[in-house]
Amino acid sequence: MGAPRRLAVKLLSAVLRHAPDDSRDWASAMLRELDFIEGDWAALFWAIGSTTAILRRAASVWRLWFKNKTMEGRMNNKGKKALGVGLGMLSALALVGCALATLRIAGLVFPGLDHSPWAYWLAVMAIPEAIFVAATVMLWRKKGPVAAGILATALVVALHVAVHLTLHW
Amino acid sequence: MKLRLSPQTVLILDAFLEQPADWKYGYDISRNTGLKSGTLYPILMRLAERSLLETMWEPGEPGKPPRHMYRFTPDGLRFARANAAAGTAGSIGQQVALNRMKGWLFY
Repeated sequence: MGAPRRLAVKLLSAVLRHAPDDSRDWASAMLRELDFIEGDWAALFWAIGSTTAILRRAASVWRLWFKNKTMEGRMNNKGKKALGVGLGMLSALALVGCALATLRIAGLVFPGLDHSPWAYWLAVMAIPEAIFVAATVMLWRKKGPVAAGILATALVVALHVAVHLTLHW
Repeated sequence: MKLRLSPQTVLILDAFLEQPADWKYGYDISRNTGLKSGTLYPILMRLAERSLLETMWEPGEPGKPPRHMYRFTPDGLRFARANAAAGTAGSIGQQVALNRMKGWLFY
């Protein structure tokens, strides 16, 4: 048994162990089919596809559960919009956090980079703001509240930079 | 009976229609239709949930785990025939060839 096939068996065995009860039969069926697949790489691709199928099924079950049983199901329209705006802001802030962390890590690899004003403005201001604008445009029609949250964060970050420039330059 | 009839679902229904009374294995359906497991199994799951497919574990050789098999229920057969008659099947051969070509490209 080649390494890709061993990996395929391990992957599907792990999926079978952790699959929700209603997907366990399916995961077991996918694992069993591995014995009949010629080619180690084909077996690995089979396992990856099967894992995706089980994950998608679990995700759809959780999404349904969340909609029906939890706060989203009981929320009125205002609550859902507020949740969307909050999610948008949280995602945008997470992106800024990631940008800052990336800059710090880059500073460890290339000393002095994180103190360079250009690198700082590019990583923390220009790139995230461009992503915020693109995300707002893309999400505006389908996920308006989330787009509004992202836009609000973009404006706050831009305002913060403007105040910083006014005070220090 | 609400079921989104994507070209891939139509392909699978068509594969079952070839010999509707026979039990089929997942990997064999994948080979015959050119669909990858990540596409095939969600469709099989949906068909089984809607009672269009029945599933069974085939007892294997001693010491080996059983194998999962699928075939149409009477409702499933009626549904597939109705859709085939309505002409939703389209150019199945072309779709299979396309799927296989995608498979070659990605392998």
